[in-house]
Amino acid sequence: MYKKIQNHLGYYISLIVMLALSLLLVILASGNKDLQMTIFILTAIFYVIWGILHHLLNHDLTSKIVIEYVLIGALGISTIFFVFMGGKGI
Amino acid sequence: MIRFFLNLFIPHHTNNYRAKLLHHESLLLVILIFFFGAFTLNYASKAFPSVLGISSDITVSDLLNLTNQKRAENGLPPLSIDQRLSNAASGKAQNMFAENYWAHISPGGITPWSFIRSAGYSYVYAGENLAKGFTNSQDVINAWMASPSHRKNVLSNSYNNVGFSVQTGRLSGEDTVLVVEMFGSVSEPQATAAISGEDKKPVEMAAISQQGKQPVQEPEKQASNPALLTQIPAQNLNKNTSTIKGNSVMGSVKTPPVINSGMLTKNLALIVISSFIFILTMDLIFVKRKRIVRAVGHNVDHILFFSLMILLIIIFTRGIII
Repeated sequence: MYKKIQNHLGYYISLIVMLALSLLLVILASGNKDLQMTIFILTAIFYVIWGILHHLLNHDLTSKIVIEYVLIGALGISTIFFVFMGGKGI
Repeated sequence: MIRFFLNLFIPHHTNNYRAKLLHHESLLLVILIFFFGAFTLNYASKAFPSVLGISSDITVSDLLNLTNQKRAENGLPPLSIDQRLSNAASGKAQNMFAENYWAHISPGGITPWSFIRSAGYSYVYAGENLAKGFTNSQDVINAWMASPSHRKNVLSNSYNNVGFSVQTGRLSGEDTVLVVEMFGSVSEPQATAAISGEDKKPVEMAAISQQGKQPVQEPEKQASNPALLTQIPAQNLNKNTSTIKGNSVMGSVKTPPVINSGMLTKNLALIVISSFIFILTMDLIFVKRKRIVRAVGHNVDHILFFSLMILLIIIFTRGIII
């Protein structure tokens, strides 16, 4: 597993930077729920694109993997939507 | 039962060595449940506000005790509740719901000092701390103490009275709990007697300026700039005050519901996302041990993404102060 992470270190660093940037933007948008939600949706979309590109560049991309990343991204959006709309009565 | 959960969470020959919850159809089902749940809870909180909605454990007595506890820890005398300041805080909270703003000064230009004065409190020093979206008193005080400008108000020796208001209502399109803390003193406290020779004009301190970005380092001597206090003609203030007492405002203030929808959705979301992190980690360990080759996405990617989500859910649902 560690060898695999080492091989993909560049990809993981780019993912961590992207996620950290998203976290920073959400903190900066504190108090503006609409902007926070928009930032998260964009992050989820970027994550899906990043995941697909990652597998594409490693020549192991399949339709099953594309669906998996899309579903994980959609799960993220649906969870945040649940917290926003269900919890805050927006 | 155990087999059912093993099938859901752990890679096993019954689930083709991939936890059932990670199968596409399961992920789709969870997504649909979240979307359906969001709409259902949203509808339920509007149809049955006494059962489901936003509530908190914040009480005035807890806020007062915790404020005085922090002051005692810093060698300061305790503040006493003044009903006029509490009325001013209540008026401010209702005005924020009515005019739909989150700031120290209303869009119409009403300052916190206007509420204090209209409540009949002739102050020498006055200050205001605001908080929203918190669920307990300790978190509110902790957030104020972590902010230099709010901390300065809590630990100021210029005040001897305090008033609180904790109100639930709808602000910027979302249900929330507002906490307004008004500080004041009607006579020069002993600690500031040394500067009593300067002037006796009112001094006000807002924790943060109107934009919520620029902390006020020193008590703003608004008395030297009386425009702020006299900005609103008395008749306009009275007009606004009468609006505050109108039905439109009182209608937005709700009684606490049985179930706190904010906590419910936050906890459910955290449990589900944490479960997925657990499942993905188990899958990672199992695949490594059994040396199984599969054409699936990288679990480490998903774990990182879900970890961000946990942080975001905590950030989204935490209270904010100005």
